[in-house]
Amino acid sequence: MFSLNPLSMLFLFLILLGVIPNLFYMTGYLSHIKRKTHFLIHYFTFIFSMTGVVLSNEILPFLFFWELMSLASWQLILTEPTDEAIKAARFYFFMTHFGFVFILLFFLMLGGDSLFTNFETLKELAADFKYPTLLFLLITVGFLSKAGVVPLHVWLPYAHPAAPSPVSALMSGIMLKIAIYAFLRFLFIIPNWQIEWGVIILALGAISSLVGVLYAIASHDIKALLANHSIENIGIILIGIGVGMIFTYLKLPALAAFAFIAAVYHTLNHMSFKSLLFMSAGSVLYATQTKHIESYGGLIKLMPITAFMFLIAAISISALPPTNGFLSEWMIFQSMLSSSGIDNLVLKLSFPFAIFALALTGGLAIACFVKAFGITFLGLARSENAKHAKEVNKLMLTGQILMAGVVISLMLFMPFFIKIINYSLPITDIYHKLFQNIWVMHSLNSNGAVAPLLILAGLIIVVFAIYAFYKYLNPKIRIYHTWACGYNTNAKSQYSATGFAGPIRRFFEWLYRPEVHTHTQTISGHKTKFTSSLYEVHIKPLFEKSLYDNVVKGLNFLSYFVYKLSHFERHRYSSLIFMLLIFALFSFRVFYKEISWGNIVLEVIVMSIFYKFLFGENK
Amino acid sequence: MINYILTILIIFLIAPFLLGLTKSIKMFLLFKKPMSPFQPYIDFAKLIHKELVYAKESSLISRIAVFMILAPIVVVVFLMPPVFHGSFYISFIDAFTITGLLSLSTFFLMLLGLDSASAFGGIGSSREAFISALVEPAMILTIFSISLIGQSIGISKAVLNLNDYFDINHAASFVLAAISFFIILIAENGRIPVDNPETHLELTMVHEAMILESTGADLALIEMASALKFAIFATLFVSLFLPFGVNLCWCLAVTVFILKLILVSVAVALIEVNTAKLRLFKVPNLLGIAIIFGFLSLFIYYVVGE
Repeated sequence: MFSLNPLSMLFLFLILLGVIPNLFYMTGYLSHIKRKTHFLIHYFTFIFSMTGVVLSNEILPFLFFWELMSLASWQLILTEPTDEAIKAARFYFFMTHFGFVFILLFFLMLGGDSLFTNFETLKELAADFKYPTLLFLLITVGFLSKAGVVPLHVWLPYAHPAAPSPVSALMSGIMLKIAIYAFLRFLFIIPNWQIEWGVIILALGAISSLVGVLYAIASHDIKALLANHSIENIGIILIGIGVGMIFTYLKLPALAAFAFIAAVYHTLNHMSFKSLLFMSAGSVLYATQTKHIESYGGLIKLMPITAFMFLIAAISISALPPTNGFLSEWMIFQSMLSSSGIDNLVLKLSFPFAIFALALTGGLAIACFVKAFGITFLGLARSENAKHAKEVNKLMLTGQILMAGVVISLMLFMPFFIKIINYSLPITDIYHKLFQNIWVMHSLNSNGAVAPLLILAGLIIVVFAIYAFYKYLNPKIRIYHTWACGYNTNAKSQYSATGFAGPIRRFFEWLYRPEVHTHTQTISGHKTKFTSSLYEVHIKPLFEKSLYDNVVKGLNFLSYFVYKLSHFERHRYSSLIFMLLIFALFSFRVFYKEISWGNIVLEVIVMSIFYKFLFGENK
Repeated sequence: MINYILTILIIFLIAPFLLGLTKSIKMFLLFKKPMSPFQPYIDFAKLIHKELVYAKESSLISRIAVFMILAPIVVVVFLMPPVFHGSFYISFIDAFTITGLLSLSTFFLMLLGLDSASAFGGIGSSREAFISALVEPAMILTIFSISLIGQSIGISKAVLNLNDYFDINHAASFVLAAISFFIILIAENGRIPVDNPETHLELTMVHEAMILESTGADLALIEMASALKFAIFATLFVSLFLPFGVNLCWCLAVTVFILKLILVSVAVALIEVNTAKLRLFKVPNLLGIAIIFGFLSLFIYYVVGE
């Protein structure tokens, strides 16, 4: 039923790290929630089920807990049943079950004759399975739709913001990681990996990271922004996994191990700082009662601790040294640099594109978090809500501080974490190659090295030196207005999030297809004089519009066709039967006896005549 | 160790001079009476004794930002490649960390711009975010390429390798990487085609807009940070892409190094005089060239082979 293997232990550890601060935070947040019993039941069920997924060692328990996890989170999205939340929850419900179908297929194909096959037996069964590619595709679609990989990511920016903040932190921080866990677990079950698999995962990761961060820049709902960033970080994790798969195929176990360690280390990091970001954003939400970034501003004076926590997490997620986010991204970059040793030229030439995607993602993430932090916490309050915000209660702060402790400890005790990650995955032991001593981490080739503690020490020493310099100068300090060319500074004249993202939005216009709305109330017919004006930009999510809407249209068309079939007069039924008979005979002839184009064309013509006869207008 | 400290001191001391020299050459070429190239030192000494004015609207970030803007850049100066052979250098930090530290400095500079609630700061931050996001991939690709040519991602090691042995087969990718890196140097330091360092027009400001609210010692330190940043990029450029002179005796090596830095200053000054500032939305074209050259440099390296 249950067993502990090293990978489960690692992710159990991740769940613990994520849940303990979250419990404090949730307790503080509880007064904000109307349906307390409903929320609490589902909250604890959610945590319990995630633990269950990680610990399960047999098919049925795994599926049961997986489904329980989906349903509990689905109910948690519905904690406050606004119209938006109901829509998001319906979408989430559909998407998660879409993925579940593939997972179920995977187990049904592989599972032998019992639902209680344990995963060790599964490995033996997989070794005899004829079409491993099919298995790979099933787990890719099944688990990665849960993780929110492009193009199955659309539910994320709806579902995560609709849930209460502690739950958003859990969903983004842990649930996506559970999907990654399941993906890794069953990936290592499947034998003889092909090179194409690794390339597929690498490409998915690169696209996800870019798409996620681009939509994050364009979104002005703080929680949707963070949810989009989850897509980006899952993409980065997948880049690591894809590189590892490619190296495994090429029989370079040490490099593959490095890439896998990088991916899993980024998983841990993302859990920590994304949870922290959701908690801080939730505190802002709690204090201001609004999700809209444009109505924040100046909150650092009112909520200093929350702001500081958000800043730590923002620096970490932007992959700036010496934080943990930087370390894992550094590892992924290094593992991609190792691609220069590959013999296959075409494959080697494809790696720079992934590097480009990852680098651009890093740059845009910095822009995005300057926007998120700067517009939210700096400047002047843009609305009454933000003016009267108060620092949140001690419990919520405790949760945030604990989580910040997790973020910082992931940076400080990096060697330890790398060690446990290395031993928890079925890969080569490279820990001693990476760390000759605990201060410096080396990459496997090309003399790459990083020393977070030394950088941190250097930064601290320099900061103290500058501080001493200031002390020595002891300048007079005067407080005065910001210079605004003679006008008074007010909240209206400062930069907004829409304006901040303007250049980037304009540059990526082909992706965003923004709809611009301007409303001006002019004074007595003058074009240039107005009392108030409003400029709004709405971004169309491209995937949703093109992919999902067209799927819905196609399904509608099909169902209408079927509906028409069931409302015939009697003679049409007989002709339908006749047509099917002809169709069967023709097909038998074409595909079984002699495949020739002439026959196929003839059949198509006959069928179209019958179609006309069946669905033609009633005379 | 003494040699190492000497290198660091040279970079620290020459940094303001490089910017001053650029400016004075520009003034000379524009038929103005050139200022002394040592003017930045005088400005620095003048500014640190002035009083600090903080905006009422600004927060703690304005006070912290100065530290966080200067500190990463000072740390990067300590990671610079050696100027002459046999001197001590730091080998446990690689090029990615250097780019990361520069980004950290930029991050806080952008926050400083947003902190004072003025529209100018927002303008500057927004544009800086846009430009630095596009610089990042070019920088990474170029570094990747030069680390392959120099056979090490650690910059110091790569510089020494390039000095000892330069493979002529990789000259093409080397030159492309050099062009790409020079564009990055111009973009990151806000020189003319990307940003005009001498203007205070809101239409053209990027870097200046962000530090509009800084005064006194803060301003002095931020100016120092930008001078150091220029010195860092110039040092990287001359060490990686003009790989000669390291193997000479130390006094000659230092002289050659300083001359190379001055050469970069002169080149930047000439480019600044001869081009107009680009529109903000034309800047991606320039950075696109850098990105494409980074790609090409890598591809050519791979196709030519080891």
